[in-house]
Amino acid sequence: MAATASEPAGDFTRRDFMKACAAASAVSVVGLVRRATAEAPKKGGTLRVGFYIEAATMDPHLSGSKVDRQIYHNIFEPLVTLDVKLGIKPGLAESWRQPDSKTLVFKLRRGVKFHDGTDFNAEAARFNFDRMKTEPKSVRKGEVASIDSVDVLDSYAIKLNLKRPDAALLATLTDRAGMMISPKVVQERGAELGRNARGAGTGPFEFVEWIKDDHLLIKRNESYWNKEGGPYLDRIRYRPIPDDTVKLQSLQAGEIDVIDYVQPRDVAAVKADRNVAVVDVPSLADFAYQLNHTRPPFNNKALRQALAHSLDLEQIVKGVWLNVGRPANGPIPPTSWAYDKSIAPIKRDLAKARAKLAEGGQSGGFTFTMTTNNLPINIQEAEVIQAQVREASITMKIKLVDAATLLSDGNSRNFDMISYQWSGRPDPDGNTYQFFRTTPGTSLNWSGISNPQIDSLLDRTREVSSQAERKKLYGELTRLLQDELPMVFIVHPVEPKAFSPRVQGYEPIPDGMMRFKDVWLR
Amino acid sequence: MVLHRAARARLAPFGAAVLVAAVLVALGAPLLAPYDPLEQNLGLALARPGRAHLLGTDNIGRDVMSRVIWGTRVSLVAGFASVAVAAVAGSLLGVLAGYAGGRADGLVMRAMDAVLSFPPLVLALALGAVLGAGLGGVLIALGVVYTPTFARLMRGQVLAITAREYVDAARALGAPGWRIAWHHVLPNAAPPIVVQASLSVAFAILAEASLSFLGLGIQPPGASWGSMINAGRGYLQQAPWIVFGPGAALFVTVVGLNFVGDAIRDALDPRL
Amino acid sequence: MGRLVLHRLAATVPVLLLVTAGVFALLHLTPGDPIDAMMAESVDAEAKASLRKELGLDRPIHEQYAAWMRRLLRGDLGRSIRNGEPVIENVSRRIRPSLELALLAMAVSLLIAFPVGIVSAARRNTAVDRAGTSFALFGICMPNFLLALLLIFLFGVTLRWLPISGYTDPVEEPLNGLRSLLLPAVTLGLALAAVITRTLRSSMLEALGEDYVRTARAKGLSEWRVIRGHVLKNALIPVVTVLGLQLGTLIGGAVITEYVFALPGVGRLVVEAVFARDYPLVQGVILLIALGFILSNLLVDLLYGWIDPRIRYR
Repeated sequence: MAATASEPAGDFTRRDFMKACAAASAVSVVGLVRRATAEAPKKGGTLRVGFYIEAATMDPHLSGSKVDRQIYHNIFEPLVTLDVKLGIKPGLAESWRQPDSKTLVFKLRRGVKFHDGTDFNAEAARFNFDRMKTEPKSVRKGEVASIDSVDVLDSYAIKLNLKRPDAALLATLTDRAGMMISPKVVQERGAELGRNARGAGTGPFEFVEWIKDDHLLIKRNESYWNKEGGPYLDRIRYRPIPDDTVKLQSLQAGEIDVIDYVQPRDVAAVKADRNVAVVDVPSLADFAYQLNHTRPPFNNKALRQALAHSLDLEQIVKGVWLNVGRPANGPIPPTSWAYDKSIAPIKRDLAKARAKLAEGGQSGGFTFTMTTNNLPINIQEAEVIQAQVREASITMKIKLVDAATLLSDGNSRNFDMISYQWSGRPDPDGNTYQFFRTTPGTSLNWSGISNPQIDSLLDRTREVSSQAERKKLYGELTRLLQDELPMVFIVHPVEPKAFSPRVQGYEPIPDGMMRFKDVWLR
Repeated sequence: MVLHRAARARLAPFGAAVLVAAVLVALGAPLLAPYDPLEQNLGLALARPGRAHLLGTDNIGRDVMSRVIWGTRVSLVAGFASVAVAAVAGSLLGVLAGYAGGRADGLVMRAMDAVLSFPPLVLALALGAVLGAGLGGVLIALGVVYTPTFARLMRGQVLAITAREYVDAARALGAPGWRIAWHHVLPNAAPPIVVQASLSVAFAILAEASLSFLGLGIQPPGASWGSMINAGRGYLQQAPWIVFGPGAALFVTVVGLNFVGDAIRDALDPRL
Repeated sequence: MGRLVLHRLAATVPVLLLVTAGVFALLHLTPGDPIDAMMAESVDAEAKASLRKELGLDRPIHEQYAAWMRRLLRGDLGRSIRNGEPVIENVSRRIRPSLELALLAMAVSLLIAFPVGIVSAARRNTAVDRAGTSFALFGICMPNFLLALLLIFLFGVTLRWLPISGYTDPVEEPLNGLRSLLLPAVTLGLALAAVITRTLRSSMLEALGEDYVRTARAKGLSEWRVIRGHVLKNALIPVVTVLGLQLGTLIGGAVITEYVFALPGVGRLVVEAVFARDYPLVQGVILLIALGFILSNLLVDLLYGWIDPRIRYR
């Protein structure tokens, strides 16, 4: 029931990822791609999508919940977008350049209209950035904090003046912070935008209606600027189905055509079902446990290392995640360009664990409590970990809590070891900085780690703009994290999505968002 | 009426047998369970029922049969203890309200009405969230939910009994209030409480299962039948045996408790 | 009669006060915070703080309660934190499916309970009686999430007779609406049937022992006519009571059934609100549910007096 916190995502090295795509195409979804060569996409039809929960708001600037983004990516468009390999490609911005580390210039696409008929241009873009920075209820403030001001260079060019170098900003602008809303809609009925996004976006689909608790309907944008490919679908109808099993069964029975996530336990069975096509979407996620550095036992580095060496990640990923994911070597997922595959995940080594226990002054073992979400897969993982650490004479108690309590325990550092399932961000910065940097006021550094070497590494990753250089820094960081252990990293999950075989042309981008522009129904 | 009681009585032995068996299983769990209920074998996860594992294994390769046997303890404790909490608390409040009358009566009974007017599962959920998950939280949460029923019942009894002549007589002889309550009121008010309690245990065992579903229940690696069913419900298609074992145990026990409860009611309250 | 109603209504005020205070205290004792829950993945401490301030969540709890009470007295239940809409709108959207589900569940339970209860009482102590009593117990002895999943598996997945999840309003589309509510109604109705069967059976047995029944039998009326003409009517009072009491529980308490079948009902609304720590929403919904419960009790009492005038004069 408290499914809110679990929205896993995926992993894989680059090569594996390509393999996965190839495998997927052989089996099913991207098989859409293969079939597509033989079969031309067809216009029409309503796509019925099942999500675990309903959206919270239709206003991207005020949105704080992940599920909203799933819908936004079809109605609104960001300045830049992600490709399958997490590269940045043009969106509403045709091109961009960075004259110096504190300036970012976007050339905007011409001929783009919002659904209400008004033009998208430089003024509209500046309006959006201003709103994100000044609207009292804006949830985007943190994401655009590095932007000092926005200049309109001409009708189709803007310049972002940054307060400090921010190498991760472009990637941030691929999501809500880069999404453009019609200024006219905001001015005329901004208060109502939360529940009615009619006319507000530029995307391939237009908002039609949202009957709360029942369904949300969008339809094809007939005058979409991009004439290549879709949109093909007449309409998309989203509806919330909270129970995983029931959601999957609704798909199998043909009541819906797409579901956002298949639990690992169901993956094998679903892959065998000819009425369902599964795509393993590698994700940006990193599932870990934060260790509390501010109180015993884990303020003791040797004990953290003892714990890490008593874990058998291979076994967890195989037994609990049923290989729908990969053992993690750190916070950066294998889908990322910054992933360093030469670093192995920490290996189980009971002798070393015992030695570390002795080094930490607890040769007889110690006791601690794990705080985790009250969800079946989390419970299962907790039980497996409990059995693993027992073999190193470490006693682990399990405290199950709901999502809100987990956040509160984390924020108030009321834990020894706490589950942290981060859905991930396209730039590695989003999986690292806010968790490991000493910064008063950032709330995701639950472990309380404060390490000057890590801090300076993190700062450098933001200042350096060459990707190769940044990758080296993130490699160094990962090694350091394996030693300092603010978290024990467990798994980079895959986020399998399932479709009716009628659904064709879905492109699995590792951010897990379901963009339906080029999707069509057979 | 006698015939009717006899009819019920033919179900009662079955109920009693089930109950006795459940208690014996709970007490003898260490002897009866073929395996350690916590022993995992990830390589053997989701094994079908067979000679080695009569009820199969669960999603991390634990023996379902052994877990059902050990789970008997937790489920019975959850059922009986929460009702005991409710019966004791409710009876005390009921005696207080009925005996003291006036303001105390009004206050206690309005509080009971307030508790009753919550949807029970939601109240238990909220209480559980405050108290923290675990058997203790569940016991208290369910105890609070069932308390008003007992309080109302007890108050009604107290009012009826104190109006009787022998109580008047005792009072006239100068017996102190607590003495009258202890010697005259309680023994006479007890039967309906016992009936109510016997029927409530079955509901409490089921309610514990529902709380597990909502994410509030026994802390792992311990398990009640309810938490086992909840953990296995995602595997209903691949491995129905995970749910079948605890489900059957739960079902049979609750049926048995109902039969016993009916029999006790018939025996103590001949009017029905 | 009018005075009785007024008196009873006045008596609900302290109860409701206790309910609101209780909910308030419980909610704020529960660890967690609505803003953190809503913005789980945001590190924007400043945005969170300003939202908290705007919603008054930074003030001491007694002030928050007083502020909430003042608004309540003006008839304003406040707005949901998660979706920003008035609580009353959230509830009114959800009440219809819940009410329809409750009524349909009752219909299902009566369809089962009447034949089983009557036959069991008439043929008491026979195998029929035992079979009936045991059958009636079936629905109540299984956790309802399990029953729901089994029904879905059988009728939705295997046989494909009925939709698995979702809600269609039967007022707008009678056939599809009934189909969408049938499985959840059976899930709830089976449990309710056990309670009603039991009540009906015992109250019929009681009535069967009364003098007027003996008189009727002595007049040579057939057993069936005795039951229909004399017993059933008198046995109905406890059944009405049980139904009345259950209506409130069914509307606010069908949490699990609504969750499994993805029905947008009130029960699920409360639980979702509790998990989101959406304080105003939880407070408002619980208050309304409690009010509904109390009023339905009152209604039952009045109905009582109407069915059986003796009760009114007691």
